[in-house]
Amino acid sequence: MKENMKPNSKTYWRSMDQLADTPEFQKIVEREFPEGASELKNPVTRRNFLGLMGASIAFAGLASCRRPVEKIVPYVKAPEKMIPGVPKYYATTMPLGRHALGLLVESHEGRPTKIEGNPEHPESMGKTHIFAQAEVLNMYDPDRAKVTSSKGVESSWDAFKKFWKEHYDALSAAKGEGLMILSGEMASPTMQRLRKELSKQMPKAKWVADEPISGLNMHKGLLAATGQALQAKAHYDKARVILSIDHDFLGTDPGSVAANRGFAEGRRVNGAHAEMNRLYMVETAFSITGGMADHRKRLTQGELELFTRQLANALGVISDNASVVDAKWMNALVKDLKKNKGASLVVAGFRQTAAAHALVYAINQVLENNGRTVTYFNNPDLILQKNSASEMVDAIKSGSVKTLVIVDRNPVYTHSALNFAEALKKVDNVIAFSPYWDETGHAAHWHVPMSHFLESWGDASDVQGNRSVIQPLIAPLYKTISPVRFVNMIVNGTDKSDADIVKATWRMKSEKDWRRVLYKGVYDTQLKPVNAAARMNKIAGLVSGQKADATKPTANALQVVFQASASLYDGRYANNGWLMEVPDPVTHISWDNAALISPATAKALNVSNEDMVTLTAGGKTLDIVVSVLPGMSENVIALELGYGRTQTGRIADGNGFDVYGFMSGNGSYTLSGVTLSRKNESYPLANTQDHNAMEGRPIIREASLEEYEKEPMFAREMVEHPPLVSLWDERSYDTGYQWGMAIDLSTCSGCNTCVVACQSENNIPIIGKEQVRNGREMHWIRLDRYFKGDPDNPEMLFQPMGCQQCENAPCEQVCPVQATLHDEEGLNVMTYNRCVGTRYCSNNCPYKVRRFNFFNYTNSYPETIKMLQNPDVTVRFRGVMEKCTYCTQRIQEAKINAKNEGRLVADGDIQTACQQACPADAIVFGNINDPESRVSKLQKENRAYKLLEELNVKPRTSFLARIKNPNPELETVA
Amino acid sequence: MNKEVDAAYDYQVPLITGKPTFGWITEKVSSIVESKTSKEWALLFGLASSVMLILLGSIGYLVWEGIGIWGLNVPVGWGWAIVNFVFWVGIGHAGTLISAILFLFRQKWRTSINRFAEAMTIFAVICALIFPGIHVGRIWAVYYFFPVPNQMDMWPNFRSPLLWDFFAVGTYFTVSFLFWYTGLVPDLATLRDRAKTTIRKKVLAIFSLGWRGGNKQWKHYELAYMLLAGLSTPLVLSVHSVVSTDFATAVIPGWHTTIFPPYFVAGAIFSGFAMVMTLALIARRVYNLEHILTLTHLENMNKIILTTGMMVGYSYSMEFFISWYSGNPYETFIFMQRAFGQYAWAYWIMVSCNVFIPQLFWSRKIRRSIPAMFVISIFVNIGMWFERFVIIATSLSQDFLPSSWDYFSPTIWDIIMLVGSFGLFFTLFLLFIRFLPMVAMAELKGVLPQADPHHAHEGEAH
Repeated sequence: MKENMKPNSKTYWRSMDQLADTPEFQKIVEREFPEGASELKNPVTRRNFLGLMGASIAFAGLASCRRPVEKIVPYVKAPEKMIPGVPKYYATTMPLGRHALGLLVESHEGRPTKIEGNPEHPESMGKTHIFAQAEVLNMYDPDRAKVTSSKGVESSWDAFKKFWKEHYDALSAAKGEGLMILSGEMASPTMQRLRKELSKQMPKAKWVADEPISGLNMHKGLLAATGQALQAKAHYDKARVILSIDHDFLGTDPGSVAANRGFAEGRRVNGAHAEMNRLYMVETAFSITGGMADHRKRLTQGELELFTRQLANALGVISDNASVVDAKWMNALVKDLKKNKGASLVVAGFRQTAAAHALVYAINQVLENNGRTVTYFNNPDLILQKNSASEMVDAIKSGSVKTLVIVDRNPVYTHSALNFAEALKKVDNVIAFSPYWDETGHAAHWHVPMSHFLESWGDASDVQGNRSVIQPLIAPLYKTISPVRFVNMIVNGTDKSDADIVKATWRMKSEKDWRRVLYKGVYDTQLKPVNAAARMNKIAGLVSGQKADATKPTANALQVVFQASASLYDGRYANNGWLMEVPDPVTHISWDNAALISPATAKALNVSNEDMVTLTAGGKTLDIVVSVLPGMSENVIALELGYGRTQTGRIADGNGFDVYGFMSGNGSYTLSGVTLSRKNESYPLANTQDHNAMEGRPIIREASLEEYEKEPMFAREMVEHPPLVSLWDERSYDTGYQWGMAIDLSTCSGCNTCVVACQSENNIPIIGKEQVRNGREMHWIRLDRYFKGDPDNPEMLFQPMGCQQCENAPCEQVCPVQATLHDEEGLNVMTYNRCVGTRYCSNNCPYKVRRFNFFNYTNSYPETIKMLQNPDVTVRFRGVMEKCTYCTQRIQEAKINAKNEGRLVADGDIQTACQQACPADAIVFGNINDPESRVSKLQKENRAYKLLEELNVKPRTSFLARIKNPNPELETVA
Repeated sequence: MNKEVDAAYDYQVPLITGKPTFGWITEKVSSIVESKTSKEWALLFGLASSVMLILLGSIGYLVWEGIGIWGLNVPVGWGWAIVNFVFWVGIGHAGTLISAILFLFRQKWRTSINRFAEAMTIFAVICALIFPGIHVGRIWAVYYFFPVPNQMDMWPNFRSPLLWDFFAVGTYFTVSFLFWYTGLVPDLATLRDRAKTTIRKKVLAIFSLGWRGGNKQWKHYELAYMLLAGLSTPLVLSVHSVVSTDFATAVIPGWHTTIFPPYFVAGAIFSGFAMVMTLALIARRVYNLEHILTLTHLENMNKIILTTGMMVGYSYSMEFFISWYSGNPYETFIFMQRAFGQYAWAYWIMVSCNVFIPQLFWSRKIRRSIPAMFVISIFVNIGMWFERFVIIATSLSQDFLPSSWDYFSPTIWDIIMLVGSFGLFFTLFLLFIRFLPMVAMAELKGVLPQADPHHAHEGEAH
C-alpha cells in the first residue's frame, strides 16, 4: 500500500476514515490486518466469513498492491560462515531506564528469534527478566510506527531532516533558547556525550529526564545523604538478613535479574544442616517479594514512613518517637539486623519518600552494610531524573518551551494527571520520537518512528558502570531511526549513521578491540564503588521536613497506591501480546488491570470480583473493575499502571484501565481520602486461576528451616501410599540419556520470566482475552500460585508447572492414535501430525499441563510475526494438542553437536528455555542417568519430592520443597 | 397376586386385548404405512427435519471454525458432545435388550414393542455416533482411528479405551441393524404383497429378499433370528461397559472407579426404556394401537424402569460410600463437590429424576396411568442426560491441582447440537413409522391365541 503512495498525499492512516468512514467499514479494514488476539475476542461475529470476503473485495480495489510479489531467490553468493539452519548468537544490550542488561540473541538466517542473557555480562550473567524475554516480540510488532509522519500524514525522515535543519540554525543562534529534550532516564556513554555536546552548543537548551515509575525519591535521598549522585547496587547474595520496605526487588524492579540471582544464592538450602537468608517485608500491596518473605507486615504508605523512622530510632540513627509496629516485632528485627552487621541489608522501594531513602542509607551505614551488602556508584554515563514531572510540565505551560523533542516517552499518556496534552498546545513544535504512533505521537507535530534496540547501534552501562554496546541483529524492519541517530540529529543537526556515532564515543584503539567488545558484549568497568559517610544532619533535616501521616485509611477514606505492572511495567510493553496475556503472578489476571482490594475491605465496601466501581479523590474519578486480593492492607486499593491505552496498537488499546490520570500529579504514588462507590455494572476479567487454596493437598510442600533440620525428609514422607506396583514389567529407562528436571520452590520467586521465555522459544500463540477467560490459555509452563494461612494476610506460594514427563504417562495410554508416546530417553513426546484432537490426553493428565488449539490461532499471523517464529519448533495448527517438551529441539541440537564432536552430551550443554531464563536458577535440567549431573544430585536432595507420585505416573520433574526461615523469636508475633 | 400382572408373564393369557384376527393385525399395521401422508405427520416431519438441518449446519460451522465454538476449556476437555454421545448410546440399549434378551427369555409381551424399540436403538446409535466423530479437533484425520495398514506406517493404540469404544459401538450398531432388518423381512414381504403400484412392489420385493413365507424359510428365519438374538445379548452388556471404560480407566477422581461397567449398563437400560416409553405412548395414541400396546405392556416396562432406576440409585450411593471408604482425599473431595459444590444443581436434578421420581412406580395406579408414566419417562431421560453431564463435567473441572480448576459453561453451539440431535432422531423415527411397519406383524400374530393349536377357543378363562 505504502509503496505506491505519494508522500504527503494525505492518503496515510486517515485515508480509511476519509474514504469510507462508517464504523462497520473500519472494523472490516481492521481485520484486513488480522492478528490472532483481536480476531478471537469474539469468534462468532468477528470472524464473520462473509464480512471478511466483502472486505477483501473492497480492499482489493483500494490497495491491490498491498503485498508485493516476493520472488524466492537462493543465495547466489552465500554469506560467509552462514550455515542455513544453524543459529548464530550475538551479544547486545537491553536498556531499561537507567538499567542495562547484557543479552545474547539467537539469530536464524538474520532473524533474531530468542533473547537470552549474556553470561559475560555482570548484571545478567546469562539470565534475563520477563521484559527482556518479550523484547523480541516488540521488535516484530506489526503495530509499530513505520514511517516518519507530520501531523498524522505520512512524511519521511528526509523531510524531517529538512525541517530540523532550518530550525536548528535558528535554535543554535538563540543558544538553544526554547528547546527542551524530554527523555527517559538513561545510562549510555553516547547519549551522555551527546547531552554534553548539546549543553556546549546550546547552553540554554534543557534536557529533562522523566520516568513514569520514577526513582526520583531514591536519587534525592541518596543525594541528601551522601552529597553525591549515587546509585545503590544491592548484593543480595551477601546479605543474611534483608529488610525490604515496600521494595519489590524480585518482581517489577528493573534490577530484578541480579536481585533474584543474589537472593536465591543466599536462600538455597543444600543438605540437611543448611543456612539461608531471612527476608522481612513491610509493604502496602502484595508483591511477589512479599510472597517470598519470612515475615511480612502490611502497612499503609504513611505507616511505612513511620516504620522507617521507628527502625532508624531503634538503631540509633535518629531520634524519633514513631511507633507503628509493636515493640516485640521491631526488637526482634533490630536484633536480627544487628546480629548480622555487615551481612544485613535494608532496601526501600520507589514509592518511599526521599527522607526514607536517606534514612535507609544511614541505617545501612550503622549496620555496616554500606560497602558490603550494598555498594554505591557514581556512574558518569547516567542521565537521571532531577526534578518532578510537574516542574517539567510547569515549564512547558509557562510558554518558555518553543520546541519540545520527546525521546521515547509518552507523556500525554503517563502524565495525563498533569494534563500534558493541554501543555503541549503551548509548544510551537512538538517532535515525538517513539516506537509507536501513540498518544503523544498523535498530539505531536512530527512523529519519528524509533528503531528497536535489536535494530540499532547504541550503548549502555549497568548500575556498576559496566559499559556494553547495543549491537543490531537485523536492519530496521521499517523506516525507523535509532535513538542515537535521532538524538545526534537533534543535537548536532547532522545525520550520521548510528554505528559511527557510537564508535565516535568509544574511540577504541583498533578495530580488533572494537570487535572484541562486540563479541564479548561488555567492556569491564573501571568504576570504583564510592564510600560516602552519611551526612546525618542533612538526613535529619530531610526527615523533619517530611510530614508523615499514619492516619489509618478507612472504608470512607481509602488509600490508593500505584504500582508498576508486573507485565507491562509502566505501559511501554502494552502492545506486547506475550506480556499482555501472561497472567499477573499475584492476581493471575490476564489482559487487564484491576483495583486490588483485600477481602475484608471488599466485604466492608460490599464489592466483589468483577464489580465496576468509581473511585473519587481530589475531584478526579476513575471507573475500574475490582479484584479481591488477599494480603492487601486494609482499606487500601492498589492500581497497576500501564493499561487502558487508546492509541497504541491492537493489543494495547482498550484493555484494562488507564489509572495514570487518577494520580495526584505531585510525584507521589499514593493517594489518600479516596472514596469508592459501586456501580451497577460488572466487567469480565480473564483470570487463569480461580482457586487459590491447596485444599490441604501436598502440592507445594513447605517447612521452616527448623522443622526441616528436625525432619529433613519431610517432603518425601508427606504422602503415604501403598507400594507402587505394576501389572507388567515396566521399562526401566536406565541406559543412555534420561532427561529430568528439578525445580527449587525455595528460590522460585514467581517472576513469570520462565513463562514468557517458553512462549518465545516454543512459538506459543497468544489467544486473546475472551479465550483466556474461557480457560484456554496456551502457556506450556505456568506459574501456579496458592495462598496459605490467614485469609487476610496469607502466605503466597509459587510453583512452576510444566509437563512432568511421566514415565508411566496417563496421557499416552489413552491416546487412540498414538500421537503422544515415550521415547527411549524418557521424554513424553507429541507428534502433532498424528494428533486428531480427542483431548483425552488432557483430561487424563493429573497436572493439566496439556494445551489444546481450540481455534487456528496461528493462521492469521502478520508477516513480521511469522519472522519471529523459532524455525526449530513446529507452529501448531488448530485441533492439535501441545505441551512442554523439555525443549526437545535444544536436546536434539546438543546431541547433534556432541555427536559431531565425538563426545557425549555434557552436563549443562542443554538448558531448557525456562531454565536458561530463570534469574533465580531455580530450574535445573539434565541427564538423571548420570549420577554426577546437577539434576541427579538435586533429585537426591532431602527436599526433593515428586508431585502426585502416588498415582504411579513416575514423573521426571522433581520439586525441591520450599523452606522458609522465620525468626524463632517472632513465632508468636503476628 | 394380581391376576393381570401375572398374566403378563403367562402367554396363555392374551397379550393383545380385544378380539383381533390375523387379518385385523395386518390391516391395522399395514394401513398406517399405506395410507396417505397425514397433515400431522407432515407437520411433525417438517419440524423435526428443520431441527436436523440446524444440526447439520452447525456441524458445518464446527468443522469450519474448530471446536472452540463449544464451551470446552483445559480442565474440561470433554463437554456436551461426549455427554450426548453417552446419552444416546444409553438410549440405544433398550431396543436390543427388548429384542434379544427378552426374546431369549421367551418374554412374549415384547412383540408389541420390539420393532420400534429396535428402530429407536438404531437411530439413537446413529445420533450417538455423530458426536465422537465431530468432537475431535481435526475431523479430517479421523481415519487415523481405523486399523488399516497404510503408507504412513500408522497404527492405532489398542490400549486406548476410545478405540475400544469405537469398535464396541460400531459392532453394536452393525448387529442391531442386522437383527432389526432380519425381523423386518416377513413384514416387508406382507407389504410387498399388498402393494398397489409396480414401483412399490419392486422396491419392497428387493428389500424383502424374496420372502415367500414358506415353511423352510420360516424355519431358517427363526433360527437366524435366535442366533442374532444370542449374538446381540452380550453386546447389550458390553457396549456400555466399554463406553464406561473411557472414564473408568482414566486416573481422574470421579472417573477412576470399578463400579462403572454395571452402573453404566443399568443406567443405559433405564434410559432406554424411558425413551421407548415416551415414543410408544405417542405412537400408541396417534395410531390407536391401544389393543396392541396394552397397559400390561406399559406396566411391565415401568417395572423395569423402577428396577433399573434403583440399580442406578444404588450405584450413586455406592460411589459415595467407596469415595469415603477408600480414604482417597481426591475421591472424597470430588464426591462432596458433586453433591454440594458448584455443580450441585446438576447433581440434584440427576438424583431427583433418576432415583426419587421413579419411586412413584411402586404405586400400581401410577404404573398404569398413561399421563403419569409419560411425564416420568421424560424426567428419567432428563435425569440420565444429567447423569452423564455430572460424571464428565464435575470430575474434570476439579481434579488434582486446584490451580487448573475451571467451570464449564456451554455455548449456544453446545445447546444447538443437543437439540439438533433430537431433530435427527425424530426425523429418522418419523420416516420409520411412515414407511415401515412399526409393529412386528408376523411376531404379533404368533402370540395370538388362535396361533396356538392348543387354544382353539381363545379367551376362555382359566
